[in-house]
Amino acid sequence: MLKIRNLHASIKGTEILKGLSLEVNAGEVHAIMGPNGSGKSTLAQVIAGHVDYEVTSGSVTYQGKDLLDLAPEMRAREGIFLGFQYPVEIPGVNNTYLLKAALNAKRKHLGLPEVDAYEFMKLIREKMKLMEMDPSFLKRGVNEGFSGGEKKRNEILQMALLEPTLAVLDETDSGLDIDALKVVANGVNTLRSPERGIILVTHYQRLLDYIEPDHVHVLSGGRIIRSGDKSLAHDLEERGYDWLSEAVSA
Amino acid sequence: MSTEFSAETELRSAVERLPANSLKPLRQSALTGFLKTGFPGVKQEDWRYTNLQAAVTLSQRWLSADRGSIKKLPDSAASVLQQLQEQIEADWIVVASGQAFLDGSTISDADISVRLLSTDPQAAEQINTADPLSSFNAALMTDGLVIRIASNSVIKRPVAILLFDDSDTAAALSNARIVIDAGVNSSCQLLEIHRSHGAAEQFSNTVSQVNLQAGSTVALTRIQDREAHHLHTGRVAARIGADASFNITSIDIGGALIRNDVAIDLAEAGADVTMNGLYLASDNQHIDNHTRVDHRVGPSTSSEEYRGLLNGNARCVFNGKAVVHIGADGSDAQQSNHNLLMSDKAEIDTKPELEIYADEVKCSHGATVGQLDPVSLFYLRSRGLDKDQATRILTSAFATKIIEESPVAAAHDYLQQRSKACLERIIAGDSK
Ligand SMILES: Nc1ncnc2c1ncn2[C@@H]1O[C@H](COP(=O)(O)OP(=O)(O)O)[C@@H](O)[C@H]1O
Ligand SMILES: [Mg+2]
Repeated sequence: MLKIRNLHASIKGTEILKGLSLEVNAGEVHAIMGPNGSGKSTLAQVIAGHVDYEVTSGSVTYQGKDLLDLAPEMRAREGIFLGFQYPVEIPGVNNTYLLKAALNAKRKHLGLPEVDAYEFMKLIREKMKLMEMDPSFLKRGVNEGFSGGEKKRNEILQMALLEPTLAVLDETDSGLDIDALKVVANGVNTLRSPERGIILVTHYQRLLDYIEPDHVHVLSGGRIIRSGDKSLAHDLEERGYDWLSEAVSA
Repeated sequence: MSTEFSAETELRSAVERLPANSLKPLRQSALTGFLKTGFPGVKQEDWRYTNLQAAVTLSQRWLSADRGSIKKLPDSAASVLQQLQEQIEADWIVVASGQAFLDGSTISDADISVRLLSTDPQAAEQINTADPLSSFNAALMTDGLVIRIASNSVIKRPVAILLFDDSDTAAALSNARIVIDAGVNSSCQLLEIHRSHGAAEQFSNTVSQVNLQAGSTVALTRIQDREAHHLHTGRVAARIGADASFNITSIDIGGALIRNDVAIDLAEAGADVTMNGLYLASDNQHIDNHTRVDHRVGPSTSSEEYRGLLNGNARCVFNGKAVVHIGADGSDAQQSNHNLLMSDKAEIDTKPELEIYADEVKCSHGATVGQLDPVSLFYLRSRGLDKDQATRILTSAFATKIIEESPVAAAHDYLQQRSKACLERIIAGDSK
């Protein structure tokens, strides 16, 4: 579903990703771990199409298409979802409005009829129940005045509504208490299916206790330096990242 | 500074030709005052960025037409009125070509008195001619509109004034004067809706003077929605008495060259003003908002927020001045101005000014000029909204705050709809 080959990407002239390769197949959950500043968010943003990042070489194909050719909104409509590490607050833009506009943009692209207000409310209430969110969040501005944890829940709510084919969740677990973490994990697990791919960017093993990954990768210095199964996450938890970096440079 | 006024003879004769009502001596003395100064020039600090003299070269063309003798509300005004009545729940009065038409007024509340200035000597005595444009207005006014709110009355239904000018053939000049007197402990909501029509040139110069007696509350929303080639200068001057509170929002979504002045006199202890504004400008529009608040006695409070969105070659000016005079101790003056520039050819000159001569004063001011937040833009696009739609959503979110906080709720839907249409037009200009 997603094939990244030898990807080099830079921001403002500084190269961050330095030859990254990764393949995600339908039905798989991949965890990407790695120290701060290793380029995890950069990878997530490049997949979503952020204009500030320049891809200098390499390729990214998604469902056989050249992903790098698509505008961010087209990627979203084609089924890519990025859960932001730092979701932005947009005062004055109503949460319901955004959710409905996002859903209908995708449906229109797929040639499906737009959902009306009634259908939409029914659908969103159901998803909010899943996320254990109070309906009052719908009336507020997008992430406006939300706590860190509420913002992350709101990201997963959007994901649950949009039912993406490929979800990239950038540190959705950080800043969550254990109860919120379970809710978020439940949201992700509900989405898990043989047709979908999920990339979990995380700092901690903790999230992986609730969402079991098929593959674990370690990103360091803009490259994947080690891949393995979920036992790799346990090793990292015990030993940190240094032993890997040393092993690589040695 | 004195500027020779080039069309003195024509102006004198235009004043002569106005209807011979009781306002004649007032017009004459205002004319004398105006001829000493002429229109303000760009050498005056307050008019640095707005060249009114160049924009309005008054001559025979402007001053020849007799506009003082319209007997019946023009059809064009009547049809605009009808549309508005369907959209805003209010009582209505029309001022067309600067002349008030009381016949069509729908005001029935016994606590509101509506009269022509020529029949209200007490109001005529207080006509403000302190600045050149107010003098010009008084010299050329056909008749003014006087609205008095009875003491201790609470007026629930807004009073809406449609200021309409039509200039199908000749260049049109109009000078509307509105006098509002809010009695002790009264409260009311007012709307000033500026609309225009016609292919010819047009210059409307309106003055509203508001007197808030002790304990009164006045809400005023002003929407300047004139056609794109028409010139307009508008002044709202308010004197605010003890524990009285004035809440004014000025919205500019039309016109070619616009200059608004809001002058607030916090004259007694406990006086309070909120003055907000929104200007949406594109193409070659020029919109200049000057506000001045004088805290004369303490404690008195003022708060101000103006927001502007500019595209194309638009040029806007914001100048907000707060003066806290000696003895106005314990006063509070808050001010901010935020601008979004959607084109690198658009220009904003923003200048908040504070002058403080009192003690224990709380003041703050801030101005920002920026582009649409790229992080928000990307966030919306990553959810499947295209760039245009995301831009539309973010600009409307920026503008909507001022509308939602504007003090006459009955006009909110109308304002949202008009500003949305205006934003559509402005953003469309962005794609070139
Ligand atoms: N806007 C930016 N300008 C310059 N450098 C940036 C910018 N954003 C990120 N970086 C740098 O790119 C590197 C990778 O950042 P990031 O992808 O956010 O790492 P991670 O998510 O793994 O912590 C860091 O060194 C960071 O400082
Ligand atoms: Mg990161």
